[in-house]
Amino acid sequence: MTSGTTRSAVAVFRDQYAELMRSAFLIDLQYRASIAIWLIWGVTEPIISLGIWWSIAAAGAVDGFTREAFAQYFFGVALVNQATLSWDAWNIDRWIREGEMNYRLTRPIAPIHEAIADNVAYKGPTATIILSAWIIAAAFWPAVRIPFEPAHWALAIVAIVLAAAIRFLNGYATGLLAFWTTRATALVELQFGISLFLSGRIAPLSLLPPRVAEVAGYLWFPYVLSFPVQVLTGTITTTAQYVRGFAGQVIWLAIWLMLYLLVWSRGRRHYGAVGG
Amino acid sequence: MTSIRRTATVLRAFWQLNWLEELQYRGNFIASLLGTVFWLLMAILTAALYFRHTSRLGGWEFWDVVVLLGIFNALAGVVEAVLRPGIGHLPADVRSGALDLVLVRPVDAQFYVSFRRLDVWRFADVVLGLALAGYAFVQTGRPIGAWELITFVVTFAVAIAVVYAIWVALMSLAFWFVAVENMAALFDALFEAARNPVSAYPGALRFLFVYLIPIAWTTTIPASALTGRLRPALALWALAVGIAAIGASRLLWRVALTRYTSAGG
Repeated sequence: MTSGTTRSAVAVFRDQYAELMRSAFLIDLQYRASIAIWLIWGVTEPIISLGIWWSIAAAGAVDGFTREAFAQYFFGVALVNQATLSWDAWNIDRWIREGEMNYRLTRPIAPIHEAIADNVAYKGPTATIILSAWIIAAAFWPAVRIPFEPAHWALAIVAIVLAAAIRFLNGYATGLLAFWTTRATALVELQFGISLFLSGRIAPLSLLPPRVAEVAGYLWFPYVLSFPVQVLTGTITTTAQYVRGFAGQVIWLAIWLMLYLLVWSRGRRHYGAVGG
Repeated sequence: MTSIRRTATVLRAFWQLNWLEELQYRGNFIASLLGTVFWLLMAILTAALYFRHTSRLGGWEFWDVVVLLGIFNALAGVVEAVLRPGIGHLPADVRSGALDLVLVRPVDAQFYVSFRRLDVWRFADVVLGLALAGYAFVQTGRPIGAWELITFVVTFAVAIAVVYAIWVALMSLAFWFVAVENMAALFDALFEAARNPVSAYPGALRFLFVYLIPIAWTTTIPASALTGRLRPALALWALAVGIAAIGASRLLWRVALTRYTSAGG
């Protein structure tokens, strides 16, 4: 009777996480072919956008964006999007609708940790696949080569992780509205539609009408995609831009974390009241 | 001939039940309509964004592209109303072995699987899409002639045949790869490319969309017909593609079915 009593809470938590991630990874491994299809599904949108902008830029740079700049930007979008995807609202919707939330609530660990482990186990390998595809493409196609600057890339990794955290909490908290409404996933889709423009999904933000781009700056949308892509492709240069970008990420992370905590505590009580 | 009539009778009975069932979910109608309007708006704004930086997209003007977007929405409505609830369920039926129950029935299995269930509310998307195409056509200021109208109707029918054939091809893969459950996502991904005229893509992608994944025939050709840019030779080609698509889907279904050994087989 040594280990059971002396193990710290942190160690227990870490082991639980390791186990959740291991099981999530093993499940993913069973669905390799399905994951390949989701990968194709994820990259077609940036490829289509790139195709269109590539044609438009045939006559010359579009507001400073050359064909090469578009190619690098949309390869960046494909990679960052894969690393920051958010599908949890659909899971939560199913958990609540089909009663799978009930046994999750009896576990000693909140369901969000299962979702986090699931996200890490999925995004790590799949983002690596996209990165590898990018590296292979760069060998043959100089347009998609980005400058080799380890310092930039380290910052890009931080920006991508923060972006993934914001988008995860945003999707998860919105998904938890399923405690009250059956249309929570519609709200996620609504945000996705807006993000086409405000996150820089179909075009770099600087190509939007200036007023729209300005509004975007007050919301979380640019910080979950546009900013990390710009850091990665080296189009952010001044310290002020970095500070503003990372500060925006930290602020929105804090806001969505608080919103999650609020919705989770209220929602759980509401759910108990309905089911009980 | 009697087998076709029997299949038609069976389907009519199914659709009647289907309709009565759907009538109970009128709230879904409003929700799906709002969703369609929202995504149409996003698509038009996307085109508007492109046109902020160019006066022509692959030789098409703004309202020509909106005509195409309307046709895209109408086809997407056919997909959601008929294909996804029908043949889209094939992989699940193959996996569970429920296809047994279809095969033993005295009806044409492909026909039955394809049209057994309708998501009737989504037919509103077809109406909405065609209405948008009509409105945008008026905005182009082009005169409408009999030739444009006839070729549009024919090429739109061809487009439906091509989309149907793509679905049969993708869903039939379930007979080989039983574990793949999201084959429809592959269609959704590829069909996104049909939101733009194929002439707006660089050469390699254009080749892909015309010959390998024939989505060029789904929106670009009918929109070309309506906006008077379809050459007669191409109209004949479209007709050939449509007939080939139906023939290929029939052939593929026959071949795929020989792979079927029921669940656990």
